[in-house]
Amino acid sequence: MASVSPFQIKACALIVEMDGQPSAINLRELRDRAERCSAESIYHHFCETQLRPTFDDPEFTNDFATWAYRVLRDDVLAERLGIIDPGESESVEDLRTSLFDAIEERLSELETISMAERGHGFYFMRSSMVCFDTDMRLENPEDAMWALRRMTRPSIYYHFVETRTRIGNRNHDILTWLRGGGPLGAELAESFVGIDFQHYTLRALRQELLNRAHQILDGGAAEA
Amino acid sequence: MSEKKLDQYKEVVGEESISQLYQMADVLRGRSVVHVNSTRYGGGVAEILDWLITLMSDVGLDASWEVLEGNAPFFTATKKIHNALQGFRQDFGKEDVEAYEAVQIENAKPLRDKLEAADFVFIHDPQPAGLLALCPNRKGIWIWRCHIDASRPYRPVWKFLEPKVEGFDASIFSMPQFARSLGHTQFLIAPSIDPLSEKNLSIPESEIEAAIEEFGLDPERPILTQVSRFDRFKDPVGVIRAFHQLHTHPKPQLVLAGGGAADDPEGAVVLAEVREEAGDDPDIHILDLPPDAHRTINALQRASSVVIQKSLREGFGLTVTEGMWKAKPVIGGNVGGICLQVHNFHTGFLVNSPEGAAMRIRYLLEHPRLRNRMGGTAHVFVRDNFLLTRHLREYLTLMLTMDRGNSRRVIDL
Repeated sequence: MASVSPFQIKACALIVEMDGQPSAINLRELRDRAERCSAESIYHHFCETQLRPTFDDPEFTNDFATWAYRVLRDDVLAERLGIIDPGESESVEDLRTSLFDAIEERLSELETISMAERGHGFYFMRSSMVCFDTDMRLENPEDAMWALRRMTRPSIYYHFVETRTRIGNRNHDILTWLRGGGPLGAELAESFVGIDFQHYTLRALRQELLNRAHQILDGGAAEA
Repeated sequence: MSEKKLDQYKEVVGEESISQLYQMADVLRGRSVVHVNSTRYGGGVAEILDWLITLMSDVGLDASWEVLEGNAPFFTATKKIHNALQGFRQDFGKEDVEAYEAVQIENAKPLRDKLEAADFVFIHDPQPAGLLALCPNRKGIWIWRCHIDASRPYRPVWKFLEPKVEGFDASIFSMPQFARSLGHTQFLIAPSIDPLSEKNLSIPESEIEAAIEEFGLDPERPILTQVSRFDRFKDPVGVIRAFHQLHTHPKPQLVLAGGGAADDPEGAVVLAEVREEAGDDPDIHILDLPPDAHRTINALQRASSVVIQKSLREGFGLTVTEGMWKAKPVIGGNVGGICLQVHNFHTGFLVNSPEGAAMRIRYLLEHPRLRNRMGGTAHVFVRDNFLLTRHLREYLTLMLTMDRGNSRRVIDL
């Protein structure tokens, strides 16, 4: 195995704040406010939902799609918004454009637009994240099983979601480190990179990572 | 003050989660944090501060709790402010303004030195908000923590309060729906429950059986429980109407467990309405419990097949969180913070009418395996999101963020 430096496991914590926009109560307002809201807000509603204290909607992967489905009851729009992949966007502005285009297209198709009931509007939020080292270090790729079992949800988020989606600084650090750890590390990295992280809760994502690591390291499926 | 230690929560949330709280707090070690509110005992804010001060001290902060000394005219005035913030028209006159200002001045004298020297000051709710203006040499970061829905306040009273709170460095609201634009950062921190409190800790099966026997319930038939004050916004009458539409076998039993009717004239009226609606149905159990009946409530929730919170208007809805923590699916009104917790077919059902509640209860009683699965999902959801350890983590994150100027999305410690 190639000689590599130990990998430092990090964790993070999120604090959510209002973005300063009034809430949107229909699709036109959503479009107008999505055009003006901060880049951090667009990023938050697409990428940070798994770490926020809200229920992970298993059907839709971002707040815009979930709101279209649950509040506006517009399945078509929800589907179009749900397929937008932040991992494929080169910048937050690309993401904003995809969102704007989907809303515009839907508005052009609708005869009437639905209104959200009181208290069910779309609230634009953003967040700040604090990242810090934990006392966990991986010495070699074989440590992956042990580490995944111990890693908290914020650590899973940091290494498998945040560093993969952070626009402008996608280093996906843990996979980079694994790839430098010889054939076994490279095999683990290739297996992990295939996971569509958006469709998992952080708990389920850890289990999927464990399953894949177990198949490679031990040749079987991991216990839940 | 709570005697619990942070390490006791390891068995609930895991060793690593607790260890990470210590790591985050290490950067803030020794920094002084003062919380100020208006009561030491009773009410949700005092309950939060009781554990928050203890756990903040536990992780190395110099945390303390000061309580505003008030008088009857002051509390009359602040009750009006409280009601006005929630949108109710109030007659808030000159005497209320004077009573409010006098208590701020009186309390600022002994507190000023400590507050001005503190690194972080958290002022809880409107009662002590006037202290900010009376501490002109403050060196730390001052945050207004608003625990109530301030989104649609009664304007004349808001005009009195707004200048007092807009000078803070930031504010905290429980949900985006409760926030109000103030010209400074508005953070969002949801409430939480203490999994080791009397109301939420694991209790022996024998204690659950004893509660079933004490209240004359039949252990062989399903129990449906709503725990809440006898208040029209909690819609206890609507719950009985839903119950009367259930024709399932075996016939379930309904428990409406509340309190406060003895010293609340409106509560007594609602309790009478509830009793009238219940009539002589022997399967409806209306329990007017004392305020410290935490273990009884714990046992009743654990004895239930389904927990109900069919509110017509609600804050965050911690009784929903408590029911979910006990691995029960919840039938909840489609309002306020209940919508953040109850998700159809996952953690329970949101309903908009007695008919909707009856329909969903029938469905859950008919599908015990789904009921158990939803209860399990609800428990994990609360463990991950609504325990006090998450609440502490967000306070620490907020302090770290404000300490660094709140200008970057990602802060590496």
